[in-house]
Amino acid sequence: MNVAVPWRFPAMLDARTLVALFGALLLLWYTGQRVEIGRMLTLSGEAVLAEAGLADRSQVADGLGTTLGQLVPVQLSSRREVSRIAGFDPARLPPFAHIETVETRVSELDPETLRRKDRIVRTAWLVEPFGYLFHVAAKMLETLEIALWGTVIAVLIGLPLALCGARNITPHPALRAGSRATSAFLRAVPELIAALFLVIAYGFGPIAGVLALGLHSAGFLGKFYADDVEDADARPQHALAAMGVGRLTIWRAAILPQVLPQHIACTLYTFDRNVRMGAVIGLVGAGGIGQELKGRFDMYEYGHVGTILIAIFLVILTLDLAASRARRAWR
Amino acid sequence: MIDIGIAGLSVRHAGGDAALADVTLYIPAGQFCAVLGASGAGKSTLLRAVAGLVDADEGRILYDGRAPDRTLCRRIGLIPQDFALCGRASVAQNVMAVADIAPWRSFTGLYPLPERERVARLLAGLGLDEIHLARRADSLSGGQQQRVAIARALLHRPAVILADEPVASLDPATGEATLALLRNETLSLGASVLCSLHQPALARRFADRIIMLDAGRVVFDGTPAMLDSPVAPSRIQAVAR
Repeated sequence: MNVAVPWRFPAMLDARTLVALFGALLLLWYTGQRVEIGRMLTLSGEAVLAEAGLADRSQVADGLGTTLGQLVPVQLSSRREVSRIAGFDPARLPPFAHIETVETRVSELDPETLRRKDRIVRTAWLVEPFGYLFHVAAKMLETLEIALWGTVIAVLIGLPLALCGARNITPHPALRAGSRATSAFLRAVPELIAALFLVIAYGFGPIAGVLALGLHSAGFLGKFYADDVEDADARPQHALAAMGVGRLTIWRAAILPQVLPQHIACTLYTFDRNVRMGAVIGLVGAGGIGQELKGRFDMYEYGHVGTILIAIFLVILTLDLAASRARRAWR
Repeated sequence: MIDIGIAGLSVRHAGGDAALADVTLYIPAGQFCAVLGASGAGKSTLLRAVAGLVDADEGRILYDGRAPDRTLCRRIGLIPQDFALCGRASVAQNVMAVADIAPWRSFTGLYPLPERERVARLLAGLGLDEIHLARRADSLSGGQQQRVAIARALLHRPAVILADEPVASLDPATGEATLALLRNETLSLGASVLCSLHQPALARRFADRIIMLDAGRVVFDGTPAMLDSPVAPSRIQAVAR
């Protein structure tokens, strides 16, 4: 077929898009000034040049180098004074452990002769070569448990919020507005702030951590689940609705199978995020590895901090691999 | 038994041009009514409007003289042109979605025996096997999906069936067998049928009545025999050949 006049194809960059792009650039330039993006680039550039040997000194490189240098060697072993271990039995040592005796010369004033007198003090230490590693693993496990239960609570709250908050299945528009507002409120209260209040209410320990993570991530899941439900293919929903099928069955038969992979991906990401945030909320006493991290950091024990950071990294990496396998299985 | 009344139905596209213009029809209970017409004549819009999937700009649609409510809608069986199956759900889940069963049964997949038997009978009649039950709808061919949509529309023993080109994706032999099953089922249910088709021969063979649309208007409404009548315009005879 001959086309006499060449067809006009829609332009990718029309005037409105160009204006929007220009507006976005203007906004970035203005806000960049306020958050000192220029200074950040200068300091980072200096650090890169200093590391490459092209500049003398860099404030950033010196500061980071000193701190990061203290993280290694990481701490694996633990030493505890035997006299401070309740019910210690030298015949039943933990695996790989041994007792180390340290002799210390102590100089004392003899109250009778009023002369200085040297004395040898023997202190027995229980040395476990991987003791601190096991301790960090136990704390990491506690963080994982906190994150798991935080995610369970988030799903239990987020799912009803989504069912009420999705436009296509909500029983009433007012309920949708209420549900969306609740999700927004839960997201607006950061875990750390929620944990501060909850530690006051429930005391130090994992309860505050579980609730802080659960409530905050329920806001996220309530929104993400609802958005997925609203974006689901409407044709099967409309067909079932035309045949008088109820809202709950439409969700079960025409929406849930479509959105399940997205729901699973969101939930796995929430769990991953809760593990990372579980380490942060421990800083305010909400249990887990964060509490250990804060303690060691405050005592300048950077070797211990290094062990903790590596443990967090390995757990996140493992979770990421497991999550991507789970996502593939549910695709 | 439910009859369908369509009075002065007009539907306009977003651009403003008429998809349906002042369509008035009465389909008595139990009648198999085929809708013929070229592509864009308004067949799908008519069926979608009757199903409540498209809002009418003017006119009314009444079932048994009443505006459709949820109870009436439960007596409608719909076969959309695009099948409208949930692709990620299994064939069993798709068909059972319209079954009158307790929600917990739908959630657990523990369907009652009578429903399972009816689904098996319908799917077997449509040329599908037990192995298809667990397969995802989007893994089926277009023709198989169409047959699943037909089974879904018939499962709850509807009194009104709205079928939008139900054999469009099927080969001639399967199409004929499928339409025969649809005809037999609707006869046994006493259902009223509004069925758009592109195959005049099938319409002549299975329908009690043929309605022909052109540019959104009814240009012929009569029995298949009337199509061959000398009074029928030659243009209509040409389309219906």
